[in-house]
Formats: sequence, C-alpha cells, structure tokens
Amino acid sequence: MSGLTPDISEYATRESMVHQEELTFGKWLGNIWKAVSTCFKGMMITGKYIVARKPVTIEYPEVREELPANSRSRLFNDVDNCIACLQCAAACPVDCIYITATRRDKEAPKLKTDDGTPLKLDLKQYTIDTALCCYCGLCTTVCPTECLTHTTDYEFAQYTLGEMKYDYLAEDIRAWKHRVRG
Amino acid sequence: MIEIDGKEIGDLSSFNTEKIKSDLLTLNMGPQHPATHGVLRVEIKTDSEIIAEATPYLGYLHRCFEKHVENVDYRGVIPFVDRMDYLGAMGMEWGYSLTIEKMLGTEVPRRAEYIRVLVAELQRIAGHLLFFGTYAIDLGAFSPFLYAFDEREKILRFFEELSGARLLYNYVWIGGVWNDITDDQLRRIKKFIDNFDEELKVFHSLVGENKIFIERTANVGIVSEEMAYQYGATGPVLRGSGIDWDLRKKRPYGIYEEFDFDVQVGRGEKGTLGDCWDRYDVRVREMHESVKIVRQCLEGIEEGSIMGKVPKVLKVPEGEIYMRTECPRGELGYHLVSDGGKTPYRLKVKSSCFTHVSMLPEMAPGQMVADFVASIGSIDIVLGEVDR
Repeated sequence: MSGLTPDISEYATRESMVHQEELTFGKWLGNIWKAVSTCFKGMMITGKYIVARKPVTIEYPEVREELPANSRSRLFNDVDNCIACLQCAAACPVDCIYITATRRDKEAPKLKTDDGTPLKLDLKQYTIDTALCCYCGLCTTVCPTECLTHTTDYEFAQYTLGEMKYDYLAEDIRAWKHRVRG
Repeated sequence: MIEIDGKEIGDLSSFNTEKIKSDLLTLNMGPQHPATHGVLRVEIKTDSEIIAEATPYLGYLHRCFEKHVENVDYRGVIPFVDRMDYLGAMGMEWGYSLTIEKMLGTEVPRRAEYIRVLVAELQRIAGHLLFFGTYAIDLGAFSPFLYAFDEREKILRFFEELSGARLLYNYVWIGGVWNDITDDQLRRIKKFIDNFDEELKVFHSLVGENKIFIERTANVGIVSEEMAYQYGATGPVLRGSGIDWDLRKKRPYGIYEEFDFDVQVGRGEKGTLGDCWDRYDVRVREMHESVKIVRQCLEGIEEGSIMGKVPKVLKVPEGEIYMRTECPRGELGYHLVSDGGKTPYRLKVKSSCFTHVSMLPEMAPGQMVADFVASIGSIDIVLGEVDR
C-alpha cells in the first residue's frame, strides 16, 4: 500500500536532524506528570488573574477614554491667527493641506494675530483632507503662529469621503475654537 | 472478497494498489488567515497532513515606499519609515535618523541619545510582548495574549504621552527627538519596569514551561547554524540558532557601548538547537536584557537639550551610505544615495523579515501543517516590513 500512505522520507525534512531518545515507561509517566503539573500551574496563574486583577477594558460608548494632552488626533486650524505662510502645506508628506490666499488691500483695516504678527494675506481657502492625513504632526511643528494644532478628538467618522474634507473657514468649524478641548 | 447483502460484488485481490499514486493537494494559506500574521500568502502542497512544498507570495502590502520617498523631503520620510515595521517603529526611525546624521555629520545631544535608547528598548519589549501573545494564540492558548497586551498597553500609553501616537510615532527626528521626557514619566517607567520583570517570569512559566507548548515547539522548524548563515538571518532568529551576533554589542551605534548587557543566544534546552522553542526563549530572555538597559538608562540620563544643530532646509551632501541597526525583529539596513538635493536620490531598505520569509520554503518540507503555523509564528514577521 505504499502508494496510498504518505511517506515523509520522500520530502527533504529538517526533522531528520533530531535525535529523539527512546520512550521508556518511566519517561512516558514522567511526560504525563509534567503535562498535568505545568497545565495546573498555568491554570493557577489564570485563576489569579480572574480573582486578583481589576478589569482593564473600557466599556467604550458609555465610558470614553480621555487621551493624553499630547495626542495627535483631529487637526484644528484657528483661521483668525493664520498668516497663510504655506509652511504646513510644504511640510506635509502626503500633501493634504490646500491653501488659497490673496494679497490684502492697503486701505483695509490692519489686522494682527494674537502674537502680534501682522496679516498681509487674506485667507480664502484653508482645507485639510483628513481622509488623506496621516497624523504625523509635521505641519503643527512648523507653524510660526501656532494656530494649527492637534486636538484630542477621536470620534469623527463620516459616511462619505467628501465629508472628511474640513473647510476651516466654515462657521461651524470655526466655532470649535470656543468649546472645551477634548 | 467484498460482499453486500450477501452478494459477491468483487475481488480486491486482483486489484493492484501499487499502481495507484497519491497526488499532492495544493492548499492556499492566507492572505487573510490570522496564523500568517498579516497578508502573507503561502501556497502549500500537502500530502495528507504533511507539507511537501511551500511557496510564500509577497506584495499584498506593497506601498511603493522606496520610490515614493524619492519625492519627499528628508524630514517627511520619517512618517513613511514608521509604516514599515509598525510594531517596532521607534527602531525604524532611529535607523533612518542615524543614516542621515552620519551623512550630515550632526552631533546628537547626550540626553537625546539616552531617550533614544530608552524608547528603542521599550519598543523592543513591546514588540516581543506582541510576539509572545500572538505566538501563544497560534498554538492555541488564548489568555497569554491578553496578559501580554495588558503590559504592552502600558508601554504604548507612555509612548502616546511622549510622542502623541500609539504606533506611528514620528518621534525620533534627524538630530534628536521631538519631545522632552519629564521626570514624572521617568518615575512611572521605573515603576513599570520593576513590576514587569516579575510579571515576565510569570508569563514565561505560564507559556514557555508548559508541556503542551514545549511539545508543539521543541524540535519543530529547526534552523541550523549553517542555514541561518546562508540565508542571512538576523536578530532573534540568528541568535536562536546559537550564533552570538548582536549589532548593539558587535557594531555599537548610538551610546550602546556604555551599557552593560548580555547577548542572549539559543541553548537547545528543550530540543534541538535552533528550533521554535529556542527562538521563543531568546526573545523572552532579550526582554529581560532590555529591562536591564532601560534601568541603566533611567540612572544615567543627563540634562541638556534634545535637538542637535540641523539646518532648517535639509540638504544631504552627495554620497552614499549603508547604515544598519538592531531592531526587535532583526537587522535593518538603510542604503541611501544622495545627489545633494532635498530629497533622497535612492533609499533602499534591507529588511530582516524579508530574509526570514525566504527561509520558509526550506523549513516547511516534511512538517505537519500545524507545525508550519508554529514555524511562521516563531520567525515573527511583520508584512509591512517585508513588502514595504
């Protein structure tokens, strides 16, 4: 019946390097004892975990985790302080920041950002495609007026890709500035 | 003579079974199979339960990393580098930063060097803990996975506070590190490390000393010393075969030469040298060594700045360099060719996981399918690094 039963020796096997000792009755009993005792030891450890450990799972929709203040999550740009220097767009490795700005009229009232930098350009568009964003944080480190920051929001799922494009000049997104962060 | 309902229907004695040939069954393992650790597809030809041939197919996670970074400036490459070995991202970043620093001749401040060693060793612990958990799952034990993840979570939480992200840190920068570490954080790491050493011993007694685990891993998937050399294996796979080679000791980079630790090699304790159990054992003992290094780091950390002098517009001088570092899963090499511009002319990555995958076709023949799963698990591959 050699054709029907597989023969391991047909295939090159590395297991042939193993020199296995002969199984005596004493070793057989020893094996059983080892299996039972080590499994029992494992069960003791598991039992300890059941009794002595507090649960670490967070029951998500009811209990929401607070991320560390340093967390890099949803981006927010405070457009009132943005001087449209385009440094964030240049630093972005995936090119997901779209900025359009025009030169400010000389007659128009002079505006300044919170840290005193005069505004020379009018921001017409500041859009970030968060679906493309890789949350690396390089854009926030180059921002001279520190208006572009990562917030600690982590719930911003949308139904369509288009909704992931944030227009920071829109009224509803501007309003984020005044809410409690987190 | 075969009879059915008292009727003779045939005579097997005239039937020559010698002429019937069994055929090999071609099976497809992966790419969506949890035992293949990602999107690895292995085509296996089996003779009943025994594997005759195994061919790994790659490329399901290919993201054109090497071509893409030729259009990204040097600082912008770091987020992409993270995505190679996403379970050991700190090591990936450090290797890349070292490459650029060597080309620029930048001096890294001492404090930054200490922080780099600290995060890289914590990352090694986190990476090996993930191996520990998933390997136990591969072999049918579920609870060690949860215990390991509980400990790993503490490290990830620390990284999140430090860098802002849990996996893709973008923390080790060219010339230094991004954020400074606070004394409070150092104190908490100390507390974690003290607790972790004990915890790891419990983990090992739960899994590594279990008779069922030993039966599943000892004498399985043997990588002999010679085979490990010939395939160019690195990291725990090489050390598991009994070869004493660790870049941190043999070719020290950063400030590793100041640290006192031992290189752990396989001992063939439970079976043959270089089997799955040895590779598991090397990783567990390496975690203890990492704890040692972290301890020395916490004692020796110096005050000072965390960022060296790097020009704002980064232009790497023309030339070529090959730089390698010891990452959790083996040696990682960067070959950078620069034409003096703002972007790399060519950045080739030598990945350890790729060489380890190439060992599978030689490990597989003669193994049971279940043992093959144990072999894949023991070389601990991350497909993000294999395909890049």
